[in-house]
This record gives sequence, structure tokens and C-alpha cells, in this order.
Amino acid sequence: MRLITHNMLSCNIKGVTNGFPLKIEAEKVVEKEVDFNPDFLRHMFAKIEWKALVEAARSMGYAELPEDSPDATVIDSADETFLRKLHHALLELHLEEGALVCPETGRKFPVNKGIPNMLLHEDEV
Amino acid sequence: MRDVKVKANSKSTEEEEENEMSSSLSVKSTPEIEKKYVHRVYDAIAPHFSSTRFAKWPKVAAFLESLPSGSVVLDAGCGNGKYLGLNPSCFFIGCDISNPLIKICSDKGQEVLVADAVNLPYREEFGDAAISIAVLHHLSTENRRKSAIEELVRVVKPGGFVLITVWAAEQEDKSLLTKWTPLSPKYVEEWVGPGSPMNSPRVRNNPFFGLESIPETDVSAKEQKAETSPSFGLESIPETEESTREPKAESVPETQDSLGEQNDKSSVEVLLEALKMNQQEYFVPWHLPYHRAEVSGASASALASGLAKKDDRKGTVVYNRYYHVFSEGELERLASGVGNAMIVDRFYDKSNWCIVLQKEALNQD
Repeated sequence: MRLITHNMLSCNIKGVTNGFPLKIEAEKVVEKEVDFNPDFLRHMFAKIEWKALVEAARSMGYAELPEDSPDATVIDSADETFLRKLHHALLELHLEEGALVCPETGRKFPVNKGIPNMLLHEDEV
Repeated sequence: MRDVKVKANSKSTEEEEENEMSSSLSVKSTPEIEKKYVHRVYDAIAPHFSSTRFAKWPKVAAFLESLPSGSVVLDAGCGNGKYLGLNPSCFFIGCDISNPLIKICSDKGQEVLVADAVNLPYREEFGDAAISIAVLHHLSTENRRKSAIEELVRVVKPGGFVLITVWAAEQEDKSLLTKWTPLSPKYVEEWVGPGSPMNSPRVRNNPFFGLESIPETDVSAKEQKAETSPSFGLESIPETEESTREPKAESVPETQDSLGEQNDKSSVEVLLEALKMNQQEYFVPWHLPYHRAEVSGASASALASGLAKKDDRKGTVVYNRYYHVFSEGELERLASGVGNAMIVDRFYDKSNWCIVLQKEALNQD
């Protein structure tokens, strides 16, 4: 699971109102290099919940992202230093083993071999 | 739902609440028929199924290729992931309820997770587009099919597109229908559940029970959403056909049984006749060749438990998959009951009904 996916995932147990963002318990993180695409990153930046990404990256051992969301000038700048970091955090870090924890209920969703299992139990739907 | 309301009128408030709870549970939690005849089957046949799923349907490909570069595409019920990555300029995230199918996707390096298409674990509006290819026909109640559409709309951005394809009752190859096992009224009630009167084909096809008549289900359907099915890419039934030929006579013992248990044959015949007229609930066989490795694994227990049967003549283990095939106009009717999305395209192709929805561009929130 990449952090781009984590930034979308939310705990949808019945009655839960603050199921986002899921807390990451990382047991094993792997890095896989992918092609850098600045346009895609600029597009994604508008969707991303910044705090959730910073926190998630940190829990995966990557602390290079700025605490506060950069403004448009940084995103559009010819200097791609920031975009490179965003690229690495969003697309190259993979949670291979661990768990995603619902911030409201503490329910843990396991991540095995890079695959989150978000299925709910009968009494949670 | 309507049935529940009627019953509730004659009961105490407490009972009414209980009824509403159970009715909401029936929408969100996976009915037995889907667990047994959809999820367990795909789990058991996953590698064989995947090995046959490679032909990409041109209309789905055209939809994906039309998306702007950089789009995030959510495939709900992605099966073996044959559409993931089809447009290399987009980022795809797939999910399916079948762990074995998702593992196949993951092994190919695709970004996937195990989740239920009726209850997507996604926050709102993250996707630029979403697809549901050959998924909804595995959901056994109308409310669940509608919930799945609502989920697709919920997770795309305002203005985002959703492509949905389902198997059509109107098959190009009519002879195919004779190879499927129609579910008898008795089994429709038993498996689809007595709490789902809307699902009786007789009721469903009665114009007086159209979507307009069940607004009271909207609320529960929205806050719920249930389980789903694996999708998989086999939209084109002719493909399925290749591996699913099965003479009808061999596959209808259940129907025979239900007939035998009835005393009043004439009324049963009338029922069956009515069902044939608007038959939409089927078991569609999947033939797993004896030489496949899966036969010694999951299939051994499936055979032992009666979930699958041997066909020595063909040398296959036969699984039945549950299908609700869609009649003409049904998908549009279902989708038009979903708020904040418009049908912008509809077509029939290769024995599938297909629609493209666009979420309202202006978000009232």
C-alpha cells in the first residue's frame, strides 16, 4: 500500500464519523522507485490531505515533508525539490506489513504482503 | 423494505426499530447466496478464472483512455485487475472482495486492497473516475445494487465519471440462457431472503414496484452499503461460454426438487411460467478442469461440502455462480434513483448493459 492510497482510505464502520486518517502501524516498509511525473503530482496535491500525509510518511520513517502545506508557488516552482519529496512519499513508500488503525474506534485493519484488508465484520456494517 | 414498513405498522415502536435495523442489516451485510455462490466460488477458481480474463473490452478501454492524464481511477470489483493500468497516464487503485483475486493483482504490482464494493473504505471525492465492470450482477438485492452505485458516485469528485457495466438478460446468444440454471421462485425467496420482497422477479418486474415507489429505503441504503462481489472482467459472455458449457438437464436438479416438494403443481407451473417470462436470477456454471492445481485445493473441500460438482464427461469441477442479469432499462432506472449524478451515456454491447454517470459538478456542501 502506497501513501496515495492511504490518503484516500477511511474506516467505514457503521456510526464512525471520523474514520480518517487511519493511523499507520508499520512493521515493514519497502521502497520501490517509480518514474517522476511533476504534472501528476501537482494534480494530486490538490486532493491530498496534507496533515494525514505528513503523519503517515513519518510513521513510515520518512520525515522530510514540511509540517505545513506548501503554497501554490512552491508547487508550481521550477525547483522540483518539494515535488521530489512528495513523489517519494506518495508513490515510492510501500507499507508491506503492518496495520491501519481507525482513529475513532481503534479497529485494526491488517496489511499483509502490501495488501490492506478493509473488510468489515457483520456487526460493523 | 416496503414489506418491513407494512409490518411495522401493526407493531410496537420497539419492534419497528428492530425491523428497521434488521432491514438495514439485510442491505449492508452479505447475503448467504453471495457468500456461497459468488465469494467462495471466485476464491476457489481465482487462478483459473484469472488465466481466462485477459481480453479487454474496447468500450471500457475507450472510457479509460478518454480520461485526462493524471486521473485517479477507482476500480471497485477489479477481479484480476485486467483494467488496472490500462491508461498509463492515470493512477489506478483497485479493490475486490476476493482475497485470492487481489493477491493476483498485487503480484502484478498493482495498487489494490480487499474491500467490499457496496461499502467502499474511501473518503469522499478522491477519485477522478470510477469503474464497476461486471460487478453489480453478483449482488442479490436491488438495494445492494443501488448501494454499490451510490458508493461509486460518492467516491468520485464533483464532475467525475463513473462507468458501470452489467450482464444483460437480453443475451446476443440466446442459446446461452439454456446453459444457465434459472433460480426457482422457492430458491429466490430462500437465498435472496424473505426480507427482500423487492427481489422477487415477479415483484421487481411489476411496474408498480419501480424505484419511485421505494423512497423510504433511500436513507438506509445511503448510510449503509454492504458487501460485494468480486468483479472480474468477463463482460463478454461468449468468453464465459467457452469454459461454461453445461447441458441444462444436468444443472437443474434443484429446480426439480423444489417442484417435487410442492403439492399444487398447477400453481407452481404458473409461478415458474411467470418466472421464465422475466427470469433474471441464474446460476451460471464455471468449469474448472481437473488438471488445474486449484482442484486439489479449495475445490476438494468444495466438492466435499457440495458447493461444487464433478462432471466426469467434461473432466471438470463445476461451480455455480449467482447472477442477477439486468433487463433493458433496469440499470438506468436504478442509477436514476441515485442522487447527484446524471446518466450521460448508455449503451448495449456484447450482451452487457452499460451506463456512464457524471457526478454533479456543483457540490452543494
